Formats: sequence, C-alpha cells, structure tokens
Amino acid sequence: MLRRRIIVCLDVKGGRVVKGVQFEGLRDVGDPVELARRYEEAGADEVTFLDISASAEERQTLWDLVQRTAERLFIPLTVGGGVRTVDDVGRALRAGADKVSINSAAVATPELLTGCAERFGAQCVVASIDAKREADRYRVYTHGGRRPTDWDAVAWAKECVRRGAGEVLLTSIDRDGARTGYDLELTRAVAEAVDVPVIASGGAGRAEHVRDALTLGAADAALVAGILHDGLTTVGALKSLLNDSGIAIRSTT
Amino acid sequence: MRVTLFDYGAGNLHSLIKALATAPGADVRVQEDPLRALDTDVLVLPGVGAFGAAAARLAPGREAMREALDAGLPCLGICLGMQLLFEESDEGAGQGLGYFPGRVTRLAARHVPQIGWNDVEEDRALQAARLSTVYYAHSFVCRAVDAREVVGWTTHEGDRFPASVRRGNVLGVQFHPEKSSHAGVRFVQAFLQEVSS
Repeated sequence: MLRRRIIVCLDVKGGRVVKGVQFEGLRDVGDPVELARRYEEAGADEVTFLDISASAEERQTLWDLVQRTAERLFIPLTVGGGVRTVDDVGRALRAGADKVSINSAAVATPELLTGCAERFGAQCVVASIDAKREADRYRVYTHGGRRPTDWDAVAWAKECVRRGAGEVLLTSIDRDGARTGYDLELTRAVAEAVDVPVIASGGAGRAEHVRDALTLGAADAALVAGILHDGLTTVGALKSLLNDSGIAIRSTT
Repeated sequence: MRVTLFDYGAGNLHSLIKALATAPGADVRVQEDPLRALDTDVLVLPGVGAFGAAAARLAPGREAMREALDAGLPCLGICLGMQLLFEESDEGAGQGLGYFPGRVTRLAARHVPQIGWNDVEEDRALQAARLSTVYYAHSFVCRAVDAREVVGWTTHEGDRFPASVRRGNVLGVQFHPEKSSHAGVRFVQAFLQEVSS
C-alpha cells in the first residue's frame, strides 16, 4: 500500500539554510546538504528546498547546492522557488533535483506545466499553490502570497493537473507559520478534486495536526518545517503518532 | 568493474552515480551514445524522462544493445530504464529492447502518477538484499508476459504489477533504489556484487 509521507522543507538563500534548525540540542544555521542528510537519517520521506533568494547572484549557488545534496541524499529532493522556464526545470533536474515545484510562473504561463511534463514526465512537476480563505472560497495568490489572482484554489489545482502537474503542493497562507493546524477544509477540497497526490502545507503546530491533514484533510503527504527545525517535535515522534493512529507510513525504526 | 549509465535525456543521475560508486571496485561512467555505452562490464539504464524520447535516443544502438544483453552483459534498468527492457509503451512511440516480452501500459488506478513509498512483495530479485518499502514515481507499468520473470510485485490501489523482473543478469526495477534510502543503496551494491562474481 502506498504510504503517506512526511516531507521536510528547508528554506535556503544563497546556498545556505536561512532559518535556524534545531538538531540534537544544537541550533544549526548552515549547510543544507548536512541538514537534509540528517533528516534522511531521522526518517524523513522526502526533502524540499525552497529557494528564497532575492537576487540572481544568490540563486546561482542553488544549482551547486542541489548537486552536492543529490550526491549524498538517497531520498527524493524537490526544489522550488524562482523556477520560471522549462530550461530552469531542466537545469534543476540535471543538477540533481527529482522534482521541481512551480508557483507564480505557472499562473503567469500555465503552458509551462505542460512543457515540463512532456519533456521530463509529470512525476517531476509539482504545482505549488498558495491559497487564502475568503468568504466562501479560497483565492490563489502568487509572489510569496503578496499578489492575488482571479483563480479559485480548487479550480486552479484541477487546471494544473489537466496541464500536466503530477503533484500539488498546497499551502494555506492563513495558516502558514501560525501553528494552529493545517487548513483541513482547503486540503480536503483540493484532494477530492484532483487525481494526483496532494501535499498539505502551512500550519503544523504539533503531531496531531499532521495526522489530521492526512486523515480529515485527505492529503497524501504533509510538509513540515518550523516545528521540526525548532525542535518542538521530531520526524520519529510524528511517525510514531501516525503509526499508532493506523496510518500507513514508511517505518524507519 | 566498469559500470556505465546510458544517459538518454535530462534528469537527475547524481544520486544513482553515487549509489553505484559506493560498491567496491565500481568505476562509474556516463555515456550518451548507446553503442559506446556497451563497452562496459555492467550497463545501467537510469529512470528519468519519457518513453518516446528515450526510445528515439536508444534507436541507433537498440539492436546491438539487445544482442549484448542476450550475450550476457549484466544490466540494471530503473523505472523508465526497466520499461525500455520491454517491447513497446502506451506512453510514446518507438521500440524498447524487447528483452522481456510484454507491453508498458498506464497504471490502472485513480491516483496517477504513483508517487511515494510502497511495498515490494515476494521480493526475490537478489540473493543478498531484501527490500520492503521503496520509492516509486511513475505513471506507467510493465505488463510482463512471462510471470516467471517477475521477481517482485507491488500494488497501487487495485492494480498489481511487477516491481522487478529478472532473467539472467538483466534486472529491471520499477522503483528507484537510489531514492530508497539505505536499503536501496544496499540493493544497488548487492546487484553489482552478484553480477560481477
């Protein structure tokens, strides 16, 4: 049976992890390669690098970072942030990414998803969607949640899949960093509307939130960042709770 | 031992190269020319891209590669690389190597692609490495005609299909051992050890 996944997300800028990461009591702001490897050891099912570089100079270091990571990481690696063209995706894959997530560029140029899927296969194309709750719907935002679009999140997710996305990374802007739990209603609405895996993102404050995203939210995977990096919980503790809750996960113990 | 990856397109080869290089005595190379790729002790068909594009890159060396496999050249095909060991695919035009009889068809499931960790059932691919949960990322699967060549099975929703096929020293796996953490890396090492001894 296909397992539900825990995906650890690291924010990188200029080739370095920019938010602190707590590991075995140590706070490490530093080498993404080493941190990714440690999360693999801890039982993470995948790692995602979100590149938040603001300049082209900073971004140049990303490809080198991805290559150094791929040479030491033996679980899937997704890279997102600043990917604009089919060639950008090709460069990320050649550097060593297994999947590439595309956000603002997909809204601006939806054909980009199709171009990437045809050239590299749908399994490496992740549509990253940032959504914010309004009265009776969820509106898609781009540019790091700053720019509203005309798209409804469920309609846009279906459109992304129709155009070739093999996975949807769905982030609730309202819950991001709030640690009050994933937006289960949003997650479930999208997960029921598309036939590709949906990764819930934004809002994890404790292990029960991850469990709820995978059960009530019907997500295939949960993206987790802050609560792991801050040492509030561990991948092992998350997986124990999921296992005890009867959710099929990859056992690493 | 020369281990050569036939690079037939864009994709991440780094993890696979590193996983192969962890095997004692492995000298890993990458070759874009299918004929030159045969000047090796072990051939690896990596698992990235789409069938049609890969078959087109394979075409100039297809017959020679098939003859080399028939003559006993050890080969590991991963994901799309496994699919290239079969005859044809619904994903795209062109011919595979036809080493294994059968066709590649789309997964019969609601959730396609299958992305994530799933089982290998009844695994008997290698003597020295047993697998349980491995990483899959694919929309198409190999429908092996001869069930005796299937050395591991897996199931996604209602569709049960070969996780691995083997005849002689030619092994195809639908999953990605190079993305299956420690157990996957050990599997790659064990394959090289088994075919070189």
